[in-house]
Formats: sequence, structure tokens, C-alpha cells
Amino acid sequence: MSASQADATDERVKEMSAIRRWLIRPELGGIVGTLAVFTFFILFAGDSGMFNMQGVMNWGVVSAQFMIIAVGACTLMIAGEFDLSVGSMIGFAGMMIAIFLVVLGWPAWLSIILTFVMCMGVGALNGFIVIKTGLPSFIVTLASLFILRGFTIYLPQTIESKTIIGGIRDAAEGDWFASLFGGTIGQGFFRWLGENGFIGVFERGTRAGEPVVDGIPMLMIWAVALIIFGHVLLTKTKFGNWIFASGGDAQAARYVGVPVNRVKILMFMFTAFCACVFATCQVMEFGSAGADRGLLKEFEAIIAVVIGGALLTGGYGSVIGAALGALIFGVVQQGLFFAGVESSLFRVFLGVILLMAVILNTYIRRMITGER
Amino acid sequence: MPQPIIEMHNIQKHFGSVIALAGVSVNVVPGECHCLLGDNGAGKSTFIKTMSGVHKPTSGDIMFEGQTMNFERPRDAIAAGIATVYQDLAMIPLMSVSRNFFMGNEPVRRIGPLRFFDHAHAAEVTMAEMRKMGINLRGPDQAVGTLSGGERQTVAIARAVHFGAKVLILDEPTSALGVRQTSNVLATIDKVRKKGVGVVFITHNVRHAMAVGDRFTVLNRGKTLGTAQRGEVTAEELQDMMAGGQELATLEGSLGGTV
Amino acid sequence: MNKLVTTLALATALVTAPLMAQAEGEKYVLVSHAPDSDSWWNTIKNGIALAGDQMGVEVEYRNPPTGDIADMARIIEQAAASGPNGIITTLADYDVLQGPITAAVDSGIDVIIMNTGTPDQAREVGALMYVGQPEYDAGLAAGIRAKGDGVTKFLCVNHAIQQPTVGERCRGFADGLGVELGDAMMDSGTDPAEIKNKVLAYLSANPDTDGILTLGPVSADPTIAALQENGMAGDIYFGTFDLGEEIVKGIKDGTIQWGIDQQPFLQAYLPVVILANYHRYGVLPGNNINSGPGFVTADGLTKVEEFAGEYR
Repeated sequence: MSASQADATDERVKEMSAIRRWLIRPELGGIVGTLAVFTFFILFAGDSGMFNMQGVMNWGVVSAQFMIIAVGACTLMIAGEFDLSVGSMIGFAGMMIAIFLVVLGWPAWLSIILTFVMCMGVGALNGFIVIKTGLPSFIVTLASLFILRGFTIYLPQTIESKTIIGGIRDAAEGDWFASLFGGTIGQGFFRWLGENGFIGVFERGTRAGEPVVDGIPMLMIWAVALIIFGHVLLTKTKFGNWIFASGGDAQAARYVGVPVNRVKILMFMFTAFCACVFATCQVMEFGSAGADRGLLKEFEAIIAVVIGGALLTGGYGSVIGAALGALIFGVVQQGLFFAGVESSLFRVFLGVILLMAVILNTYIRRMITGER
Repeated sequence: MPQPIIEMHNIQKHFGSVIALAGVSVNVVPGECHCLLGDNGAGKSTFIKTMSGVHKPTSGDIMFEGQTMNFERPRDAIAAGIATVYQDLAMIPLMSVSRNFFMGNEPVRRIGPLRFFDHAHAAEVTMAEMRKMGINLRGPDQAVGTLSGGERQTVAIARAVHFGAKVLILDEPTSALGVRQTSNVLATIDKVRKKGVGVVFITHNVRHAMAVGDRFTVLNRGKTLGTAQRGEVTAEELQDMMAGGQELATLEGSLGGTV
Repeated sequence: MNKLVTTLALATALVTAPLMAQAEGEKYVLVSHAPDSDSWWNTIKNGIALAGDQMGVEVEYRNPPTGDIADMARIIEQAAASGPNGIITTLADYDVLQGPITAAVDSGIDVIIMNTGTPDQAREVGALMYVGQPEYDAGLAAGIRAKGDGVTKFLCVNHAIQQPTVGERCRGFADGLGVELGDAMMDSGTDPAEIKNKVLAYLSANPDTDGILTLGPVSADPTIAALQENGMAGDIYFGTFDLGEEIVKGIKDGTIQWGIDQQPFLQAYLPVVILANYHRYGVLPGNNINSGPGFVTADGLTKVEEFAGEYR
């Protein structure tokens, strides 16, 4: 009971070695998983073209796609909420861009900005309903999943009597704002690589002699930018502390004056923003918006986040972990094709990886947080 | 006796047809530990929530440092210097001690137009405050979940004091703790009191109250049965009052006519 | 067997199993747009497997698990990166797929378009040829046939509303009948119970409907069940695209007048054979190949019945 007791160490708390302390972090599961996955594919698909420039770009782009939505899903999950409408939001956003740009003929920059505003509005509404009704976000966003998907099928069918609207690339041609989402950068460098034989070149056709990979897609730039933004926001800012607090225990956070409602609504909006980035990059790359785009992407985002070590109930996780989860997801999905594995087995592997990751992550988390 | 920091006059609180508080008056002076005793359902929780701005009283006055106060929300009470440590909601177990310590009051470091959480400052302050309170951390990034229940209460108390609490309300801080942890928390209360903070210690454990209390107020069925100074009342008498006031008549004399 | 080894190895992720032996001969990849749940593509898998065995080439079947065409584009890019001798792919959405297919062609891989797409689109992406059933033409032929049989108002049960090429069948059918498509095309979804009940509801709301067109086993099977339930089986004019066990049974008992067989087996088998011969001897047929439409009626069902769902 005396103050002197303070200085005595509690003999029951084991001292941790420096290495152990460095190792035991939320991202550990993701790091281990990434190493395991790459080891496997280098062994079994090393000579299949998976690790040449074209192959790297293939799984790289798929992983970058997952990363974009995983960053949003991760910060939202840490804030204690889910968004199941991400996949539908992707389809909806793409379709809105197509309608504004192709059907109504508005300029690309306006169409894109307007779509972002609409999507973030829907995100804010999701958050607002969750906060005001106290319903689980699972249910509220499940409703948005259906509503958005429904509009994504209904609108183009009513306006154009088809479910795919094309011609987006041509309509957005030359718009500087649209080029932030489509296209590539570093073309000169890749041409140089191609000319000097570091990467393959096209053998025939109109692009003969050009490198098979003509630059870094903007999609990847967005993925990296969002990961950095999400990581800094979460770990280095006051707001990041509020995100953890809101998800860890909303009531405790409110008692010390954290604006929990504002935090959660903003995170819903950020998730919608990420889905919209995904959709815009997709329509700018492929040139068309379809009613079935983004199907099941919400679960893929959540899976990537969980592989990355986040806690489903909120308050714990890491953007870097989620990004690694997305990388694992992308590499496995594309890598199985390179390894020549029957593609219907993809889900089996996904399930196995998910289970292993969750078990490992639970173990790591217990060591860090003292959960029992 | 010094001037009270906070005076609650004849507080009534009704929830629909339920009368939770039927005219309760309590005051708290700096540097004392004022124990609020009562059985479950006596109105303790409603009373402290009124004091900390969670509920608005149906009638009655709250005077803070001689001024009438109307707290609209918990934030107002916190800003005035009334901090509350709730039994289960003191800390977020998944977060580190330093993140918890500065939750809602994050120190900020500017780099150009950007503002960042000043982790170095937070770590330093947290370690220093924890040492003062007698808790040895492996590091400021140690998760609160690895601390014992008593240590969590202590961190929460240290946090409240660090951020300038003049009145510290502790909601059943010892009810879920073992003997040793309880004594640590009681020691912490003693330290805080000596700094001149007015402590409101809610408990239904008379022994814990007698260990640190300077004054004792018993609540029963939304009414106060009076306030007694230390030494004017025995543990048995407090126990009886909490149980329903059957021994009220025999206690009247010893309570000095304050009933 | 190699695949099984790989499978087990990935499950444990660490076992150092022997590296897979590379199959001899050329390697061809078939990429479809169908989700895992679409059983119709089983015939395609059997078709390429048989052709692979007979020609001594390595064949692979790949598809986007959820049927997302954007994912399919990635799979084509991936297939190209793995350096096969040829790619056989559907052209389910020209806008999305033309980029990856053109890139594959330009990087020296021979491509044959099968199943969906048009001969024109196949030429534009630089494919060698198109093997399949032009959707609109098949629908039109079916419509003309139905008009001859006296159909005036029809319902088109579309289980793949998101694929524009499949919808073309309904459009062609309406044009063949000489009526407006209007709201005759139903978005049925893919759940059998939902399809059945939607059809029942539509028929009770529109009792003057005297013809039904379904676009594959996914929509045909529940529609058969619906007609058996409301007693219209055999009474209402019922035609369907594609074949399957239930459809064959329906044709046999008179519930279904005809099934349009686009002969998927040929769509899978022929491209592999054509590519292998092209790569070995430099021979290539001079034109596109229409694998359908072939109308299958109650006459001559024996072979169809025997191999339904496997090679037919």
C-alpha cells in the first residue's frame, strides 16, 4: 500500500526480449503470410511467368485493387463498424460515372466528382442511420447493398435498355482529371526497359516493339497513396486515436469526450470514397460500367482486413496489415492460375488461408493486449 | 471546513413516473474523500450521472465553485473540472496505456500545416505519471488489457488528475477487485486527495469507505439519510442505514441532527 | 495427379513437394465468363479435356469465381503472362475484354473467340476465328419458328441479366415473333426457387402469355417445375436455349417444344484441335464456325439423352 512498493517490479510480469517485442505486432500475421505465400509460388510457379514483369503487374494490379477497398474497410472496422455495401457501391459508382459521362454527355471531371459526392453521401447516410438507430451496421449496410445494386441494374436498363454502358474511355479522352484514375505513369522508363531487353515487348500488331507493360497503372499509385494516408491517419494523428477509441469501446470514448458519432460517420464516408476510387479506376481502365461489377467485393475487402490482423469487433488492427492481407489475397488468387491449379479450388485455399491467418492473428493479439 | 467545490442542492430526478432521486443534497470540499454509500437501486448512479452532466436534474441546483451550473453534456462537466471514472468503462483494453491516457486529450505536434499525435510526449508523460502512481510499465505502448483491474482504475484516476480534475467521481472502483488491488486503489485515492482534489467515492462496501472516507453520505430509495463526519459513525451504523434505515431513530443522535 | 500434389502442398504451404512435371506439347488456356455456379460449363470442361487428351496438349479452364467480367479481364492478362501457345476465350463484354485480348494477341499468343461475342468483334481483337452461336441470329431463328407455331405473346426468363449478349437472344426472339420486347424479359436471378415463383407470378398476372423462352438450364429447370405446378406444362409453348438433363426430360414428355443446342462441346473441342493443328502443321479453316443453332425436338433424343450435361 505504500508508495515505495511502486518501484518494485512485479515478479509475475515476464520481461520481454527486444526481438520478441519487435516481432509481436499487429502486422506479424500478414508478414508471415506474405513470406509463406511468396515462398510457395516461387517454388511451384517460379518458371510460369508469374515473376516476369507482365506477371508481376498482373497480380500486382489485382492486389492493388484489393488494397484500395481494404484500406477503407480496415479503418472502418477499427472504428467498430462494417460496410457490406462496398461491392454494390463499386457497381453503382461506375454506373453513375457512365450515365453522367456517356448518356448525359457531361465532362469527365464533373461526372467523377459528382459520383464521389454521391457515394460519400450514401456512406454518410449509412453512418447516420447506424448512429441514430443503434442498429448493427451489418444490417443497415446490407440494406444499402441491395438498394444500390438494384439501382445499378434499374437505371441503365431504364435509360439505355441494357445493363452495360460502354464508351467511357472515349468520352473521357483528354480529361486531365480522368487521367488521375486511368492510364499509367513512367512510360518512358518502361519503354527503356523494353528496348534494352529487361522486359518483354509485343511481337506483332499495332503495338509491336512496345513493352508488354507500358507503365505503373494509376490504380497502384492510388493503392499506395491510400495505404500511406490510412496508416498515418491511424497511427500518427489525434483522429487515429479517436478511431481506435470509438471501435474499442464507444461508451468509454464518449465519456472522455471523443466525438464517436462524427468519427464513425467519417469512416463510413472514407470507405465509400475508397470504393469510388476502385470503381473510377476500373471504368477508366476497361471503358465500360456493368451492373455486375464489384460483386462480393465487400467480403473480399473484409477477408483481406481480417487476414491482416484486424479484430472483427473493432478497436484493433493495422492498415499495413490489411494491405499485406490484400497482397496475399491477390497473389493467391492469380498465383493459383500460374501454378496451374484447378480454379474451382480457389475458394478452398482462400478458406484455409483465412482460417490459418485468423488463428495466428488471434494468438498474436492475445500476447499484445492481454485478452483472455 | 473549506469552501465546497461543488454543492448539489435538493436534486430531484424523475424518469417518467419513476422517481430516482427525491431531493438529494451533497457537497464536496477540496482534499476530502466523500463516500457515497447505498445499496443497489438506491440512486447512486443517477446521482453521479447528474453530477457529471450525463443527466439533467428534474429540479434542484448545482453550484460549482460558488456559481450555478447547468451541464448540458458530459463534455461541459469535464471542462469545468469534474472527471468521472466508471467501473467498467475506465479504459479501452485493446489500446496502449499512453493512447488511453491521452484519449480525448491528445497532444499534438505540428509539422508545417499538418498536425500529428505527439507520441514521444505522450509516452514520456504516461511513464512519469504511472511511476508516480506505482505502476511499472514495460513501455508506454503496453496494452491496457495486460494490466490488472486495480491498475486500470489507477491509470484512469491518474489520467483524470493529470488533466486537471477538481472533483473526481469514482464509480464503484473497488467492487470487482481482489484484496491487494483494492488496497492499491484506496492508496491511490489517498494520494489524489492529498493533492487537493475532492474525491467522490461511490461504493456499497462499508469497509472500503471507512478506510479512506472523510465524510459519508448514505442514499436509500432516492433519498439521503444524512452526511456524517469521520469518527461520528461506525461501520455497523452505515451498514444498517444502507439496508433500509430501520435503525434510524437510534442513529439520529450520533449523526448530529443532520437527518 | 500433379494438381492434387499442388493442392495439398498449398494447403500446408510449406511442404517441399517435387516440382510439377511440365506436360508435353502445347499449352492452351480456355477463359470463360461464367461464375463457378454455372453448371452448363461442365460440358466445356469435358470438351477441352477430351481434345487435350486426343491431341496430346495441356489444357486449362479458368473463370472468374463470381462471374465479374472485370475479374475475367485480369485472368486473360494472367493467362497471357503465363505464356501459353494459345488462349480460347469468350468475349462477354467487348469494352472490357478487348484490351487484354488485343494485348495477348500482340504479344504473340494465338486467340480463338468462343461462345459469346460476334465474328466482327473477333476479327477486331485480332483473333484467328470465332466458334459459337451468334446469339441474336439464334434468337431470331427461334422466334420465327415460334411465330410459325402460333405464338403471339411471350415471356423471356433471363437468369443472366448482367450479360448483354445473353439478352440478345430475347431481343432476337421478339424480332422473330414480330413483337416489341417491352417487359417480356424478366430478370429472374439465379436462385431456382426465386425463378420458379417469379415465373408463376408472371403467368398469373399475364394469363394471355402463350409462349415461354428460357435462356439455359439455370432458368429452364425451375420454369419446368413452375409449369408442372400451375398445370400449364404441355399447354403453353415452351422453348429453351441449351440442353441439360431436365430439359431433355421436358422435351421428351412434351413440356418443352424444342431446345436450341449451341453444341458447347464443339465450342470447346474444336478450338483446341484447330489451334494444335495450326501450331503443328500451319493449317487453319478459312472461316468462322457456327456451332449452333441446332433445334433439338422429341425426335432423335437418344444421343442427346445419353450425353446430356457431359458432352451435349
